[in-house]
Amino acid sequence: MNNNPLIHIQNISKVYEMGGEQVFALRDISLDIYPNEYVALMGPSGSGKSTLMNILGCLDTPSTGIYTFKGLDVNEMSDNDLADIRNREIGFVFQTFNLLPKATAAKNIELPLIYSGVSSAERKSRAIKVLQDVGLGERLTHKPNELSGGQRQRVAVARALVTNPSIILADEPTGNLDTKTGIEIMKLFRDLWLKGNTVILVTHEEDVARHAQRIIRIRDGKVESDEKNTASQYSQESE
Amino acid sequence: MRISELGEAARIAIEGLQANKLRSFLTTLGVVIGITFVILMGWFLNGLDAALESTVNLLGTDVMYVDKWSWSGGQNWRKTMARKDITYQQALEFCKKINTAEVSLPEARKWGGTIQVKNKNITGISIIGVPFSYANLPAGTISYGRFFSQFEDQYSTNSAVLGWNVATTLFPDGDAIGRNIKIGGRSFEVVGVIIKRGNMMMDFVDNQVIIPISTFFGIYGSIGRSVSIAVKAGKAELMDEVRSETTGLMRGIRNVAPGEEDDFSINETQTFRDEVQTLRLSTWGIGIGLTLLSFTVGIIGIMNIMFVSVTERTKEIGIRKSLGAKSSSILFQFLVEAASLCFVGALIAFIFCSALIFVIVQIIPQADFLTPYVPPQLLLIAALVSIFVGILAGMIPAIRASKMDPVEALRYES
Repeated sequence: MNNNPLIHIQNISKVYEMGGEQVFALRDISLDIYPNEYVALMGPSGSGKSTLMNILGCLDTPSTGIYTFKGLDVNEMSDNDLADIRNREIGFVFQTFNLLPKATAAKNIELPLIYSGVSSAERKSRAIKVLQDVGLGERLTHKPNELSGGQRQRVAVARALVTNPSIILADEPTGNLDTKTGIEIMKLFRDLWLKGNTVILVTHEEDVARHAQRIIRIRDGKVESDEKNTASQYSQESE
Repeated sequence: MRISELGEAARIAIEGLQANKLRSFLTTLGVVIGITFVILMGWFLNGLDAALESTVNLLGTDVMYVDKWSWSGGQNWRKTMARKDITYQQALEFCKKINTAEVSLPEARKWGGTIQVKNKNITGISIIGVPFSYANLPAGTISYGRFFSQFEDQYSTNSAVLGWNVATTLFPDGDAIGRNIKIGGRSFEVVGVIIKRGNMMMDFVDNQVIIPISTFFGIYGSIGRSVSIAVKAGKAELMDEVRSETTGLMRGIRNVAPGEEDDFSINETQTFRDEVQTLRLSTWGIGIGLTLLSFTVGIIGIMNIMFVSVTERTKEIGIRKSLGAKSSSILFQFLVEAASLCFVGALIAFIFCSALIFVIVQIIPQADFLTPYVPPQLLLIAALVSIFVGILAGMIPAIRASKMDPVEALRYES
C-alpha cells in the first residue's frame, strides 16, 4: 500500500446553525484513505455520513479541521478549484442515479468531459469505452427512462469512471435497486476496486458494507469504529 | 469558458425551447414586439434617407433657388409675406450679371393648374415656365423625347414637357410625344417627358408640366407673380462663392439698404436635410420609447420564465456542479438559454415584419420610397439587440443558478 494517503482529514467538524443553535453534523473526525482502498462509510441516517461524504467529495467544506486531497489543502481552495477537483479526481455515484433525463446515456457520460474541455470526438469514444466497461455497450442512445434501474446505475457508474478519477464516491448506490440488481452493482464496484480504483461506499446496510475491505462506522458525527473487514467476501474471493 | 461548454449550452437551450414551445413563444412576445419596432423604425429611417438622397439629387447639391419664400418656413411669416415679389425683370438682370454660376435661370410657377386632353380634365397640376436652359438642371432630365429648344423658347411656342405622372395618367399607352394637350385653353404639343423622380417629399415634381417661360407669361401674366431663380454653381464646393455673389447681386438689384435684412431667401437642399433630420429625430424618439417599453415588458417576462427554469432545474444544476461544472459554466448555460429565447423572438419579429412591410408597400402607394423588404443590416442589428436583451434579462436568474450550493441543489426534489 502507498504510504501517502489520497485523503487526509484531521479533526474536522461541520457545524450548522439551526434556530440560533449550533448543531454538529460532524465532530472531530480524523481519517486517512489510501489509494486502492475499498472503504465503506457506515452509519444510521442522521449519523453524519452523508455530510462526511459531501466533504470528501469536495461538494462541501468542513467548518474546522484539515482536509488534504493528494497533499493539497482543500480548505484553501476556491469554488473553481473545488469544481476542478470534483471534475478530475472524484467520480460520484448517487442513490437516485442523478442522470439528466433528457440526455442519452452517452451524453450523460460525456457531461464531466464537457466541463474539462475534452473534444467532441474524444468524448464520444471515451463514453463508448466506459459504457462497454460497465456492460452496457449497446445502450448508447437510450435515454434514462428507457433503461432499467440497474442499467441507469451502470450508466451513472460509467459517468463516474469516464474522467479516470482518483476515487469513486458512491452514496447508497444500491438504495433504489432490488436485491438482485444491487448485488450486480456491488460486483461492478468490486471489479473496479480490483482494477486498482479507490472506492468509498456510503451505506447504512451491513450487507452492502461487508463488501468493502475497510469499514468506518459513524455515529452522532463521530467515528465509532474503523477496522479492516477481515470477513470481506471479495478479498477472500480474490485470493 | 471552454468551446465544449458553448456547444453544450446551445444544445440545452434548444432542447429547452423545444420542450416548452408555447411557453417560449408567449414569453418572447415582448421581445418580438420590441424587435418589430426596431425593424420598422430602421426600415422607415432607411427609406427616409433614401428619399432624402433622391430629393437632394433631384434638386442638385450644387443648386440654390433664390425665392421670395423660404423652404424651411422658419422665418416670420408676416415679414416674408410683406416682401416684394421677385419680378421677371429682376430675375433676368440677375441671370445676366452673375459670373460665378454655371447656369442661372428664372422659373415661374402656377400651382393648381388644369390641363385637358380631349374630354379628360386633370387638376392640381403645377405649370412651370422656364427657359430652355432648364434642361441643364438635374430637374430637367428627360426620360424620353426632348426638352424644348432655344428656338421654341424664344418664339414662345406651345411646347410642353410633362412630368412622369402627368404623362402616364394622360397617356397610359406610354407614348406622349407628339400628342396635344390643352393648358389654359391653348393647345400644346408634348415634346418630352421628365424621368420619374418624385418620392414622399417631392411628389409634386412628377405632377408638373414645363412650358417656355414666355409662353407661361402669355397665359398667366407676370403681374403679382413672384419668380424664383435657379442658380447652379456647378460644383458643391463652389456654393459659398456663388451664394455670396448671389446675395450681393440680389441686394443690389432689389435696393436693399446696407444693414437691412435680405428681402429674399436663398434655398438649398440643405433645408431638406434639416427637415429630414427633424423627422428622423422624432421617429427615433417615438421608436425608442416604444421599443424600450416593449423590451421592458419582454425582459420582465423572460426574467420570470428564467427564474422558473432555474427552479425547475435545481437538481440538474446540482448534478452538473457535482460533475465539475464551475459557477461560470452554469451562468453561461442560462445566459445562452435566455439569449436563444430572445433570438428566436427576433426571428419571429423578422418574419412578421417582412410580411408586414411587403403588404404596406403594396397597399400604400405613398410608401413607395420605402423598400418592400427588411434591409439586411437590420437583421444583424435585430439579432444583436435580441441577444443583448436576452443576456440582460437572463443575468439575475443565471447568477442565482450559478450561486446554488451543490449539496442543497442535489437534495432538491421537484
